[in-house]
Amino acid sequence: MAGICSCSRREFLIRGLYGIGVGASLPMVLNRTSAALAAQALEGTSVEKHRDRILVVVELSGGNDGLNTVVPFGDAAYYRARPNLAIPEKQAIKVAAGFGFHPSMVGFERLYKDGLMAVVHGCGYDHPSLSHFSSMGFWHTGVPNGGEPLGWLGRLADAGYDPAVRNTIVNLGSSQSLAVRSRRHAPLVFDDPARFRRDGTDTEKEALVALSQSRTTPNATLEFLAATAQNATESSDFVRQASASYHTPVDYGIGGGVGGNLQRVAALIAAGMRTRLYYVTYAGNSFDTHVQQADLHSRLLMYTADGVRGFLEDMKRIGRADDVAVMMFTEFGRRVEENGSLGTDHGTATPMFLFGKGVKAGLHGQHPSLTDLDDGNMKMTTDFRRVYATVIKEWLGYDDTQAVLKQRFDTLGVFA
Amino acid sequence: MRSRALLLIFILGSLSVGRAQTISTETSGPAPAAWVDDLSAITAADWTRDRAAHLVERAGFGETPDQIARLAAMKPDDVVNRLVAYEAIDNRSVGPFEESGIWDPGMDPFPPSRAETVRIAYERGESLGIKVLPKGTPRRLQPIVDKFFYSLIANGIETQRLGLWWANRMLASKRPLEEKLTLFWHGHFASGENKVRDYRMMLRQNEMFRDRASGNLRTLLVGILKDPAMLVYLDNGENVKSHPNENFGRELLELFTMGVGNYTERDVREAARAFTGWSNDVLVFKFNADLHDAGEKTFLGRTGNFNGEEIIDIILAQPVTAEFVAAKLYRFFVREEISDAVKKELGRTLRESGYELKPLLKRIFLSKDFYSQPSYATQIKSPVHLVVSTYKKMGLREVPTMPDFGRMTGSLGQSLFDPPNVAGWAGGRTWITPATLLQRGNLFREVLFPDVKGFRPPDRAMSATDARVGERLAKGMNITEATREGDAESNMMVDREEDYNTRYGGYKGAIDAFERTKLIPRQQATINLTTMVQAARADTAEKVVDHLVDRFLRVRLAAKDRAVLVEFLRGKLGTNDVRPGETLESALRELLYLVLSTPEYQLG
Repeated sequence: MAGICSCSRREFLIRGLYGIGVGASLPMVLNRTSAALAAQALEGTSVEKHRDRILVVVELSGGNDGLNTVVPFGDAAYYRARPNLAIPEKQAIKVAAGFGFHPSMVGFERLYKDGLMAVVHGCGYDHPSLSHFSSMGFWHTGVPNGGEPLGWLGRLADAGYDPAVRNTIVNLGSSQSLAVRSRRHAPLVFDDPARFRRDGTDTEKEALVALSQSRTTPNATLEFLAATAQNATESSDFVRQASASYHTPVDYGIGGGVGGNLQRVAALIAAGMRTRLYYVTYAGNSFDTHVQQADLHSRLLMYTADGVRGFLEDMKRIGRADDVAVMMFTEFGRRVEENGSLGTDHGTATPMFLFGKGVKAGLHGQHPSLTDLDDGNMKMTTDFRRVYATVIKEWLGYDDTQAVLKQRFDTLGVFA
Repeated sequence: MRSRALLLIFILGSLSVGRAQTISTETSGPAPAAWVDDLSAITAADWTRDRAAHLVERAGFGETPDQIARLAAMKPDDVVNRLVAYEAIDNRSVGPFEESGIWDPGMDPFPPSRAETVRIAYERGESLGIKVLPKGTPRRLQPIVDKFFYSLIANGIETQRLGLWWANRMLASKRPLEEKLTLFWHGHFASGENKVRDYRMMLRQNEMFRDRASGNLRTLLVGILKDPAMLVYLDNGENVKSHPNENFGRELLELFTMGVGNYTERDVREAARAFTGWSNDVLVFKFNADLHDAGEKTFLGRTGNFNGEEIIDIILAQPVTAEFVAAKLYRFFVREEISDAVKKELGRTLRESGYELKPLLKRIFLSKDFYSQPSYATQIKSPVHLVVSTYKKMGLREVPTMPDFGRMTGSLGQSLFDPPNVAGWAGGRTWITPATLLQRGNLFREVLFPDVKGFRPPDRAMSATDARVGERLAKGMNITEATREGDAESNMMVDREEDYNTRYGGYKGAIDAFERTKLIPRQQATINLTTMVQAARADTAEKVVDHLVDRFLRVRLAAKDRAVLVEFLRGKLGTNDVRPGETLESALRELLYLVLSTPEYQLG
């Protein structure tokens, strides 16, 4: 048990972290009724039967080119459409008849062969948007072409997890993702654990804690700020210590991309944080490969595959492989035909990826046609919300997916 | 009798002097509820010191109490007119950017990637103005690759210097709205040096924004769509007749002018066609007629052989355009939620003025809605605004360079000249997470108690890898040995090309960049809080707290929080009396750190 602080102290921190015995007000919490509502929501749900399970969502921002990620080398149309960019059959890492991975996804080859990886072909939604911001917004809310204000993970937390237990959701990043926006839960958002602290002398820090109490006030923005400040007080110590005491020999690949953040998630899981939903982004529209795609995409996929593979290996190392699953997505795929700048433009359907011991490894669903196109773009074969429903019900054990996703979606049988 | 009269005059005199410097008990109180969404102008009777403070916080970067008092004594019409029609104000005290001079002949036009640079070198025998070394020479392309990395790094450093120059303008300009609007347009028409890779383009874009910031919207639109930095950022050089690139057309419609839902995908593509051939010859706009699609296009219901400027005119003919732009300005200057009625009304103002921005701005800043409760002290300060306005309220004349301005704002999510993407910065509550909230306070502790010893200047930052290369070379190792790092595969990739070593190129490029760029002089903030509180006649703990709160905060503190601050100062001084002495300055700085770390301080 390398480097973990003394258990009783950790217990103490966890108590403070989860606000046991303390009722801080959050801007959107309906104080008196929330406890009743939460109890009601938990009734009849089976999230309790998988109470230790964790979901890590990895977002690839910018529109990852699915066709060059899960390469349909068995389809001649692929090579006709991409004379320069198509991955040659003999370079692709073969995983099934007619399909292979991009050669730099060596990390995924390992996971696939070990039975820890599933791919769902052709995910998308009707009337797809080709705008980064709009489409990503739809994947975040799970309500395409709608004006939903909350995130799908936020709504899942509201429905299935007791809001009195804090930090059910952790979002690694410099700002909160819409995907985790919740009514009753306040997601914990931070990027660098080491910097997640207050500077100053003890007297200064004590005064700051006193000044950072949440409060009710007609100025809604001030109320939000005060609640956030209180959240920071409660969480920062634990997060910092969990991260500082975490040491792993596992290689997450080159630091860029998601490897670093997945390692931070691993540190929190190893420290026993009761978070159930983690959100991690490969940010900055990095996958938006309009120009000179080949080398850039190669690097992006390498960093991603190495990071996810490292994370799963680390989960195995700390004995949590049974409890942790990873879901990876992007806001759209890219056009079938390459463009004039050795890149690809915004597209539609795209593969989604699921990782973990619980998955039925393999390629699921049906690959979209590369000839029967919609204005040059693939027609989706699986609504992405079916994959959401699948992780919600089959993995996390919350049956009422319709309440979360606002519509009924059949699950896919990806989890054994 | 005479002596009593004199005494009376003396007392009255000292009272009035004191009034300017102690806390004014005159408050405006919350505005009447009816002011919400009321765009009619406030009158002189409505004008108070607090409302003047609100105006300068939004239309600029805040002001010191003395300045605010001066504005409060004027009529609101005059204040707003002067604020908006700022060309009348002499601003020569802020100078132009002093370039280091990093671009050499042959570097222009700069290739889009290292791969391309190398390809050109093989093809032509030279690249970036440097000849390939003779056959048989080891690493014959090394000088070229070094130059490539030099350019990336030197432009990055010049951009840091550019950010500091602009921050100083924001702090010292006598036309605060000019700088605030430049910042707004930079976020609205976002492009970033990380892709453009040319500080000269960013500088010219910045100067163009400043020049056209409150002029005519059409002039500004044409300016930005012909701007080299923007053309590069949106890959419009790739937008050619045979392969129109939609990126440009999409961002123009979605982000710059109309917003999603007001056009179709077809309109995006047709717009893209109209802008084919719009490119740059390094620093100037260039129209490539042979790459331009001059054919017939149908755009927003109109048909014709439209070129780019005609598309702009069609866009401006749509009512939604004025509403979209007016709403964005409103959200930046007033508050997040805009009612439909206000949006339509402000859109009308903009349209009816022929798209002149000044009438719109004046209307907004004089409106009752601007001073209504939902608009008042409800905006979360952007990182740049947070830092600049703090310096301004501290009375600083120059932006301290220790801690580094760019690092400070970058750590909070905003780097000048480097927006996260073409949508700019989302702003509002997205600035705030538990971590960034703590960081906002921590940054000011570093300003008040600088860590001089631990300071590492970002304009001379070198990665650990590059530093190791340097150390090993100094020890006499050759390039292959000095750049050996990590595993075999990593080394293979670095030294794979016999004709150059990538890792060495990165190192050498950095060394050359350091040599060629001016060093940012490092100076900590010159604050004297002792003088500040003395000038305010604050000689007790309560008076000091009240003065700092009045000077820095835009929201009242709750009584219990004020008590925490008073107790803190008393505890530090050991007494309620505030007198100059050895420990006073340090105690005051700690107190100010607490004030600047409050949730209240994030509101402007």
